[in-house]
Amino acid sequence: MAGYFEEMGWRELDEGEQPDHLLHMARFLMDFGMYEDNFTGEWPRLPPPAAKEAVKNLNEIVIDNDTTNCPICLKAFNSGDKATKMPCNHVFHPACILTWLDKTNSCPFCRYELPTDNEGYEAFKKEKKRAVQRKEDIDTLHNSMFS
Amino acid sequence: MANIAAKRIKREFKEVMKSEEVAGGAIKLELVDNNWTELQGAIAGPPDTPYEGGTFLLEIKVPETYPFNPPKIRFMTKIWHPNVSSVTGAICLDILKDQWAAALTLRTVLLSIQALLSAAEPNDPQDAVVAKQYRDNLCLFNLTARHWTNVYAGGPSVIADFNQKVQRLLDMGVEEHQARVALSTYDWELERATEQLFS
Ligand SMILES: [Zn+2]
Ligand SMILES: [Zn+2]
Repeated sequence: MAGYFEEMGWRELDEGEQPDHLLHMARFLMDFGMYEDNFTGEWPRLPPPAAKEAVKNLNEIVIDNDTTNCPICLKAFNSGDKATKMPCNHVFHPACILTWLDKTNSCPFCRYELPTDNEGYEAFKKEKKRAVQRKEDIDTLHNSMFS
Repeated sequence: MANIAAKRIKREFKEVMKSEEVAGGAIKLELVDNNWTELQGAIAGPPDTPYEGGTFLLEIKVPETYPFNPPKIRFMTKIWHPNVSSVTGAICLDILKDQWAAALTLRTVLLSIQALLSAAEPNDPQDAVVAKQYRDNLCLFNLTARHWTNVYAGGPSVIADFNQKVQRLLDMGVEEHQARVALSTYDWELERATEQLFS
């Protein structure tokens, strides 16, 4: 069985390392039930911009014969237009999607999330995932005991 | 106004006008100024709710940074609902705040507000007084919401008992809306409402 600190994803600070206040805040908010319960907790404001690296690596495509609109400006694509494709396959004008991802990290159409450069938010996401995993573990244990 | 915002609103406006919701009378959208920065929306109160039969007007302000920021929307028609301020008409709805996404449109937003009238979120209230009544006395909440729909939104249900109580306060010189708010707040107990108004 993993140790308590390992299980919680905690470790001692390295020599000269400063504590991560954002991470502490994320934990504090979750521990004290600022969210309805730990498993559906939401980040309390618009999530941060997409990571610069992730934005740089998005696929550039050329529209061939597409009949759809860019979901941001609602203008129809023309054949030969350059477009940016998100990992979820949604396609936008490069200028449209870059402006959006500079504000927040998810696809404006389906909310697929790109990574961010915000440590606090990434810690929050990790905590949330861990909480879901813990709940699944408890459910599995419960089912194996009572079924 | 920034070019993209005005252009997009124009495209949306066309889309809304062609939509089946407009054809069916569920939602309406009108221009208020020629700059495409302010519009007026209207939603029909959903069936099987206390808002049924009412028409609720919404003020829609489009920021220059639209669609990267949400439109600012509030109820102009007074409404008794846990997620709408009974004073200012401000709406507590996640997609108008931190859950906004640039692919949402005025049409989807109006439909979401209409859906909010069918399914209130009392745990995320905009109006604490209304939310408390919703939780503690759903029956009285429904009657009160129906009464407000009748008086302010043209709904069909006349609730004679409530009208009489409002009239009693009017006879004492209280302003009508103030009287209605006090009575609604104090679960239609005339004495407590009077006490609060004259204290
Ligand atoms: Zn576009
Ligand atoms: Zn997507």
